[in-house]
Amino acid sequence: MLTEKHLLILEALVDCIIPPDEYPGGWEAGVGDYLQKQFENDLHDVLLMYQDGLLALDKEAIAVYGKAFVDLTSDEQVQLLTQIEQANVQTKWAIDASEFFKQVVQHCAEGFYSDPGNGGNKNGISWEMIGYEVTA
Amino acid sequence: MSQYDAIVVGSGAGGGIAAGLLAEAGKKVLLLERGRRMTFADDPRDHLRNQRFSRYGHNAGPDIEGNPRTHADGRTIRPHESGYQNNAAVLGSGTVVYAGQAWRFMPQDFRMASIYGVPESSSLADWSITYDDLAPYYERAEWEIGVCGDASVMSHLPPYAKPYPMPALPLPLKSNVYKQALDSLGWQQIRVPRLINSIEYQERPSCVYCQQCVGFACPVDAKNGTQNTMIPRALASGNCILLTEVMVANLITNDAGHVTGIRYLDENGNATTVNADVVVLSCGAVETARLLLNSRSKQEPDGIGNNSDQVGRHLQGHYYPGAIGLFPENMWDGIGPGASVATCEFNHDNDGIVGGGMLCDEDISMPIKFWSRDFPPDVPRWGKAAKDFMRENYRRTTDVKGPVQEIPHPDGRVQVNPRVRDKYGIPVAHFSGTTHPETVRIANFMHEKAKEWVLAAGAIKVWGDKPELYLSGGQHQAGTCRMGDDPQTSVVDKWCKVHGHDNLFVADSSPHVTNGGFNPVLTIMALAWRTTEHIIETW
Repeated sequence: MLTEKHLLILEALVDCIIPPDEYPGGWEAGVGDYLQKQFENDLHDVLLMYQDGLLALDKEAIAVYGKAFVDLTSDEQVQLLTQIEQANVQTKWAIDASEFFKQVVQHCAEGFYSDPGNGGNKNGISWEMIGYEVTA
Repeated sequence: MSQYDAIVVGSGAGGGIAAGLLAEAGKKVLLLERGRRMTFADDPRDHLRNQRFSRYGHNAGPDIEGNPRTHADGRTIRPHESGYQNNAAVLGSGTVVYAGQAWRFMPQDFRMASIYGVPESSSLADWSITYDDLAPYYERAEWEIGVCGDASVMSHLPPYAKPYPMPALPLPLKSNVYKQALDSLGWQQIRVPRLINSIEYQERPSCVYCQQCVGFACPVDAKNGTQNTMIPRALASGNCILLTEVMVANLITNDAGHVTGIRYLDENGNATTVNADVVVLSCGAVETARLLLNSRSKQEPDGIGNNSDQVGRHLQGHYYPGAIGLFPENMWDGIGPGASVATCEFNHDNDGIVGGGMLCDEDISMPIKFWSRDFPPDVPRWGKAAKDFMRENYRRTTDVKGPVQEIPHPDGRVQVNPRVRDKYGIPVAHFSGTTHPETVRIANFMHEKAKEWVLAAGAIKVWGDKPELYLSGGQHQAGTCRMGDDPQTSVVDKWCKVHGHDNLFVADSSPHVTNGGFNPVLTIMALAWRTTEHIIETW
């Protein structure tokens, strides 16, 4: 499972991918709960990738900015992730950095925009945000 | 050992009709379905596991474990993965969860080779029957399964003998916009006929215009499939025994090669052999081919019906070119299901193009499907920009698309793979080849027409994927037991009877020589109706 440290990095990462504004960010909307549920189901096989990727992300932050990922400013976090998305990394990653990020983005969207029954999108908050009203 | 008059394998659009008509004609019928019964109560409306968006599986099966298929590129594919060419596996099959677009093919669709010639290396051919042969059975399906629409505007077809039994569904806001655009372009504009109750019909209620139609079971049972029409009729006759969650492994033949029955397996792997005078295969284009190829006799060592190496070839489905548009104003009024307005302006008579296809507006998109498939290519998929795009534009983005009549290729095919077996131990379906390149050219033509329509409707930005060459059978699979007069180049005759056999029939999309530029389910139903009526009349 994910450690306390993993979870702190994951929370910051999720909120970069779906940032809070007048509507909740990904973490508050339940993306973390979606992921935890899925790590025991369909995403069981990528748990190891998450464990490696989250720690590698932190090392990358330290190498580039001299600070842990969670201590970066929002702008720094976004800049770092933009580089990772393009596979421009300064440290040695055990996994494919851009593929890791691409998959996390996909999983965050699943948690945020799919039905609340999947564990994320608490109270249908993302559906309310975009105007997807369900009547039956 | 049990003895039936007829065994029907598979309970979808074709099999449900075959079972219903045979049972009502007094025949003792065994109907076998690999899936379970499914109602709305069993459908959690899971947006990640449904027949529309199957990221991690399906609500209507098959289960993602134990049902693999393989591809010539070396992949072993699970049901929710790309290239599996899935069909629903529940009682009623796809008719429980489909959008229910209820199109008749056009007269030209049965005569493609005669009209256009045969593109080099393609296997384009005419059907052995014409539109006129099928028209009375389209009408039966429209009235007895239940279709809503407006027959008076179907100007691409010969006049209907009878109108639809129900009026068209109301037009949502965005469909009105698309309708006006068709008028301004001078293109034919018609209402999408749908297998949905627009009024109370056959003692079931009207559609409630919900936003989660395609991909899911209906919350009020207003969507008409075989599960709520012909299969209940079969059971009510007292002549039909239904078995669900059983898998037919092979046909049984006697020493003369005559089909005498089938062998099926239950969940625990127990095998049962059942005899019947007539066997009807309705497993869908992939599984019907697989079942024939997995059934061998001394006379037909490469599979029943396969002495000419035709079973499994010409696999086709539908390319779905379209265009997505961002509009300056709100296009949402929440009225589902959504696909309401269509044009058949480009199904035929296009300069330098073999056939074409229908275009229509689309059902309401699930938000996660919208994020996954409907984003413009230049909008980031994460960060503030992605969230802003969803918030500002979900209600302002709509699309039109439609099925292209594919040009079949003989090497686009289903075989069986004896090295890979499903949970029952049966060799699985194995895919190779692609559609004919001409299909891609037609799809590109239709993609441009879709863009034109969306722009004429007032979109300020238009996008959509350019079609590429692949094997298409995931949507509307067909063609693997081709109908024809010559046993050397086809599998079944014009009555969908397997050549060389007097009691083995196919009632699904497998006999489709070409698959129309339309959703094919009403054609599957009409053809099954005609075939079954013939079986009864010549019993």
